[in-house]
Amino acid sequence: MQVDKDYYNIFGVPQTATSEEIRQAYRTLARRYHPDTSQEPNADERFQEAQEAYEVLSSPSQRQKYDHWRDQVGRDKSSALTLRATVSHKTLLSMPDEQAYYVLLNVVPASDLPAARLPLNLCLVLDRSTSMQGMRLQQVKEATRQIIDKLQPEDALGLVVFSDRAEVLLPSQLNIDKAVAKSIASTIQPSGGTEILQGLLAGLKEVDRSRSHASVNHLILLTDGQTYGDEQGCLEEAERAGLRQISLSTMGIGSDWNEDLLDQMASLSGGVSTYIDSPRKVTDIFKDTMRHLGMVVARELAMTINPRPGIRLQEAFQITPHIRRLEQRGEKTILGPLGTDQAKALLMEFRIQGLPVNEQRLMRITVEGDVPGQANRRSWEWVELTSHVSATPDPDNVIPPPIVTALGKLAIFKMQEKAMSDLDSGEISAATQRLETMATRLLNLGETDLARAALLEAGRLARTGDLSPEGRKKIRYGTRALSILPKEIPHD
Amino acid sequence: MIKCPFCQTTHVPNTLFCSECGTYLLEDDRRGTDPLGTEEIRWVGPDDEGGEHLTKQGSGPLSVRLHIGEGGREVEASLTKAIHLGRLDPASDVFPEVDLSEDSGLERGVSRRHARILKREGTVVVEDLGSINGTFINGKRLAPYLPEALHDGDQLQLGKLLIEIELS
Repeated sequence: MQVDKDYYNIFGVPQTATSEEIRQAYRTLARRYHPDTSQEPNADERFQEAQEAYEVLSSPSQRQKYDHWRDQVGRDKSSALTLRATVSHKTLLSMPDEQAYYVLLNVVPASDLPAARLPLNLCLVLDRSTSMQGMRLQQVKEATRQIIDKLQPEDALGLVVFSDRAEVLLPSQLNIDKAVAKSIASTIQPSGGTEILQGLLAGLKEVDRSRSHASVNHLILLTDGQTYGDEQGCLEEAERAGLRQISLSTMGIGSDWNEDLLDQMASLSGGVSTYIDSPRKVTDIFKDTMRHLGMVVARELAMTINPRPGIRLQEAFQITPHIRRLEQRGEKTILGPLGTDQAKALLMEFRIQGLPVNEQRLMRITVEGDVPGQANRRSWEWVELTSHVSATPDPDNVIPPPIVTALGKLAIFKMQEKAMSDLDSGEISAATQRLETMATRLLNLGETDLARAALLEAGRLARTGDLSPEGRKKIRYGTRALSILPKEIPHD
Repeated sequence: MIKCPFCQTTHVPNTLFCSECGTYLLEDDRRGTDPLGTEEIRWVGPDDEGGEHLTKQGSGPLSVRLHIGEGGREVEASLTKAIHLGRLDPASDVFPEVDLSEDSGLERGVSRRHARILKREGTVVVEDLGSINGTFINGKRLAPYLPEALHDGDQLQLGKLLIEIELS
């Protein structure tokens, strides 16, 4: 018995399968891969695998031992996630030079999981600087009241407002008095400037007050202004928060805020930043954020790639729910939480060099994560990627359409990144050209609004040497959302 | 190594998208537009030749008649809305009003979304939609996305496909 083999997976049956089902599965495989008759590549290996699996699973005592082991390491009947890999080239041409190879990995929450909502430990940190006056603050207050209405008794809420200094309106506590909390939210008055660090520090203190491993610890920071001089502090606090499992949602309203800062703060903590272009959208965005927070299948999701020699990872991106570069922490690629209703699609680009002809195994990709609510329970899945390496080119190799689609959107996202970095280093004409090219690609995808925004900004850039603050945000947040199909905000 | 046909950047084999300009590098030869070479192209900028100022008001021409290529196929279209010129490709959701596939559009370097003709404040203009091989009026290349006035009798050229314009 080899403990690192998934015998049930070899047969494609659940752990609850009867011995008759296992026998059937074994017979099908044995017929298909029998070395004397099978034409399939690797038939020998597959046949042996099936033999070995059947030996273990057909013997009640061995199967019991094997099941016991699986339960111990958490690989039990209900794994929290499944993996589906799509590769760009099923056949690779053997060549001395490096070649590219793409893998699209879908991380899908298991469908048969009980739909449990995790308790929330939430703190709202709201900007109340003078510029929030009017519609903005009014909508934020309304959104806050609606959030309060949606809280469950096991949820904790804290409420912090900030301008030049922070003020705790509602210390974080469980099962708050909703009527009191809502009336407190209604009293927020605008005044002062914007110092994000003040608000962040006070908010994190409130989250810490009710922090527990069993709940989702989260801070929502909403601002409409630039903060000056405390950016570094904000980033350090965000990273520290991430390390103690507090994630940040950073939200910018209007156009006069620093998208680089909010974006980095969110990603350092494992959260998401959002551009709110109209105050009317605040309520929906708050509710949406809150709904996703509690519906988590696995947390601290991380991916490990074990390639054979000659293969190296060039770049890794998340494509859905939104496009972003994936951060590396040591050997592991950090994926963040996996929501019940939000599968992740990841796209990896590899470089392959010097594979011998007929070599099959390319790499193993493992994704693991914490199953929340159950102490010390890890869940993991892996996929093995294989490819046929041939001395002659395969004329029939078709790149799977999902890979082409994903890469096409990613190409636009990367062009946006490059345009911004050109701009930062003062290369105006290069940035202009990139925005123009980007517009063409967007038109080809039928993204006319975003294409128009890119063209408009390209024109502005050529004339004035800079982008408009709205344009900057529209392009940045627009390109990352390219992967999202038009989605409905559920009415509840 | 493989080369991006659009920006000439080189990439390792099997690369699918150009990292510089986002061009799909495996574009099916039968569907993609190849660059035809760009020697002797003059760009028409907004300040060139005193600029074609778009006149305000006035109803202007009502329709445009296109005499396409050597075949001389004629198409007449109303100017009540924009007329897109290109090559029909349902697969990528491109449905131009004037489909030039039959006029050896591909061989002559017409893009799927090549150009559009529309009436703006009484003047008929043509706008290049970022085509690979360019749009020309009487032999001068237009800057992409910058509409230029079109007159009766003008020679419009998409890539290497000549179209004579008749306004009425």
